[in-house]
Amino acid sequence: MPRKPTVVNAFVLALGTSTALSLAVPSFADDGAMPQLRFEHGNFAPAQLTVPANKPFKVKVTNGSDAAIEFESFELHRERVVPPGETITVHMPSLAPGNYQFFDDFHHEVPKGLIVSQ
Amino acid sequence: MRAAKAAMVALAVAFAVIQLIPVARSNPPEAGDPAAPVAIVRILKRACYDCHSNQTQWPWYSFVAPVSWLVSRHVTEARQRLNFSEWEAYTSDPETASHKLAGIADQVSGEKMAPWYYRAVHPQARLSHAERQQLIRWARATSAALRSSD
Repeated sequence: MPRKPTVVNAFVLALGTSTALSLAVPSFADDGAMPQLRFEHGNFAPAQLTVPANKPFKVKVTNGSDAAIEFESFELHRERVVPPGETITVHMPSLAPGNYQFFDDFHHEVPKGLIVSQ
Repeated sequence: MRAAKAAMVALAVAFAVIQLIPVARSNPPEAGDPAAPVAIVRILKRACYDCHSNQTQWPWYSFVAPVSWLVSRHVTEARQRLNFSEWEAYTSDPETASHKLAGIADQVSGEKMAPWYYRAVHPQARLSHAERQQLIRWARATSAALRSSD
């Protein structure tokens, strides 16, 4: 005989869902954590970063490959070279809610990444 | 003879029709030019701003397709790469502004900017040797200052 959903069950379900979602797409709220991007094996990881809207922030970009990359975004007005094996910190302005693409201007075959401001 | 006439008419009709295709030719609001000496600003405005700013003086041929498509695309790409009207946005990440300035110095010293085909029809974009050196010195010095301030 199926059990009736209880308040506890609903709470556990909601908690599990929100945890799963937060693990799937890295999000950086007001906890002071600096978002990080790593370039390796021809890809940015994560491919999508979620950041809080209307608040300046910084992103760490690490180049784990053996060639220089150029972290670039037309929409964000950012262009930085990252030598192999190095990490840089990119200052970002406060962003209106929306999606902002970034890419490696030295390797156009690399899939573009996305910063989601919300 | 009749075929040639038909081809001419077809071309004329096609030319007229393509004029109806909308082309992006906007000058969005300014968001902060570089704080540079007057002489540098004068050079930048004269030689660079038509493509690398939101103060584009759209020439007559930018209203005639298909040349208008090329001009519009060129200006869009140029603004994406470097837009002096959005300079303040670069400076909120000093290393980006420094990188842009280093790029300006490289492009100007290599005579890659303004491009030769642009200089050919826009004499105002041609820089004298002295102007070129002036621009390079300013770009390199400002780039270095921004790098050390970050």
